[in-house]
Amino acid sequence: MLPDFTEITAWMPDLMSGFKISLQVTFFSLLIGIPFGLVLALGVMAKGRVIRAISLFAVEVGRGAPALVLLQFIYVGLPSAGLMVGSFMAAIAALAWNTGAYTSEIIRASLLSIPSGQREAAEALGMKRLDELRFILLPQGLRVALPALLGFSILIFQSTSLCFTIALPELVSRAYEIGSITFRYFPVLLLAGLLYASISIPAALLVDFIEKRAGKFASR
Amino acid sequence: MIASDKTLIRLNGLSKHYGRLTVLDGIDLEVKAGEVLAIIGPSGSGKSTLLRCINYLEPPDGGTITVDDIVIDAGNPIGRAALSGLRRRVGMVFQSFNLFPHMSVLRNISLPQERVLGRSRKEADARSMQLLSRVGLADKAEQFPIRCSGGQQQRIAIARALALDPEVMLFDEPTSALDPELGLEVLAVMRELAKSGMTMIVVTHEMGFAENVSDTVMIMADGNIVEKGPSKEIMRNPQHERTKRFLRAVHDR
Ligand SMILES: Nc1ncnc2c1ncn2[C@@H]1O[C@H](COP(=O)(O)OP(=O)(O)O)[C@@H](O)[C@H]1O
Ligand SMILES: [Mg+2]
Repeated sequence: MLPDFTEITAWMPDLMSGFKISLQVTFFSLLIGIPFGLVLALGVMAKGRVIRAISLFAVEVGRGAPALVLLQFIYVGLPSAGLMVGSFMAAIAALAWNTGAYTSEIIRASLLSIPSGQREAAEALGMKRLDELRFILLPQGLRVALPALLGFSILIFQSTSLCFTIALPELVSRAYEIGSITFRYFPVLLLAGLLYASISIPAALLVDFIEKRAGKFASR
Repeated sequence: MIASDKTLIRLNGLSKHYGRLTVLDGIDLEVKAGEVLAIIGPSGSGKSTLLRCINYLEPPDGGTITVDDIVIDAGNPIGRAALSGLRRRVGMVFQSFNLFPHMSVLRNISLPQERVLGRSRKEADARSMQLLSRVGLADKAEQFPIRCSGGQQQRIAIARALALDPEVMLFDEPTSALDPELGLEVLAVMRELAKSGMTMIVVTHEMGFAENVSDTVMIMADGNIVEKGPSKEIMRNPQHERTKRFLRAVHDR
């Protein structure tokens, strides 16, 4: 059942190129998605009704729809509206939306966890809204949000495997491809799983470590 | 003690409601430049709301606020210039200090100077150190607020507000969250500030401060001014039944 050495060396180049695409999609989804989450968080907390409504809509759809549906929606739906998107772009758009929607809630909660007295003090000192956000709320809020954001990043990395449904040649697609040729599905998926684990497990340990440190920081 | 005859703050018919609850019922008030006004009264009488309306942390819904040359009419939406002008002239100190916990004491005092007044970091730090010395905490500059006692934190908060060179300082029960002996060090700083000629409005339960440091005392109840006058007269010889009852209650505590 286990892959032997010659199989591993034969499959590795394809698997690694898939792995690279998975990592790239993760990287860009987070790079776009987390700042988008911050924008959505601010939008949901904004005073203006229109901004709030649009932000809420984006958050609810991004959280409510399964990532698989978002992927299909963007990959299949947008071209029928006249907008061509490649599977790589579609994957990033869908996962960035998903990331933005979920992290907006994480970020919003962390901003709200900062005692309101600090905002009042900043306001009474005459600091501008943007300065208050930049110097008071974000540095503290992001510190609070960091473990949850990292945890979510691991989930997004794993979600890239869904992109095989839109013909993106990421890790799971490549593994299936090899399987369909060699009929050695189990060993090749096992290898793919190990590659996922090589990122997810150290990342999860890092989250634990940061959480413990954050706890110590808060209780000192 | 009052340095001049110039009226620095004038409130006309200031009112504030929360739903059906009238919290400020048309307050008329004048405070002269250099005057120290103590506001006392039972809890829930609208003292904090009054202070918070003066610097527009809480928008009033009727009346006018005049601070120096800034005039704000509650009937109209406030302009950006008026708001920043108001905030620049009015400093505020809160019961809960509200220092920024992720910054050093020095940064707490310097950052607002840089962002609000556009001072360079060097200028701001120099001013911060000068004020930290004035409140007796120069050695705490590099510490984080959490390493300071409550009394020290409140003195730092006072320095932070003073660093922006306000014309009037508002204090909302600045010693109520402190043990008595820590309150004393804050009161000492406030007394020195009063002597230096700063215009101050102080909501307090410290009857000694009201009687001996402030020039004027005002008693509030149910969103109204019950009486107001020179501090010694009011504290020793109150005219209104409401004031007498309140002072008796405080003494019995
Ligand atoms: N944000 C608010 N919403 C509703 N009611 C409030 C709010 N702030 C204060 N109040 C009410 O207004 C009244 C006056 O409050 P406050 O000005 O804090 O009084 P004081 O400082 O004299 O104790 C109280 O009855 C209080 O419950
Ligand atoms: Mg109060």
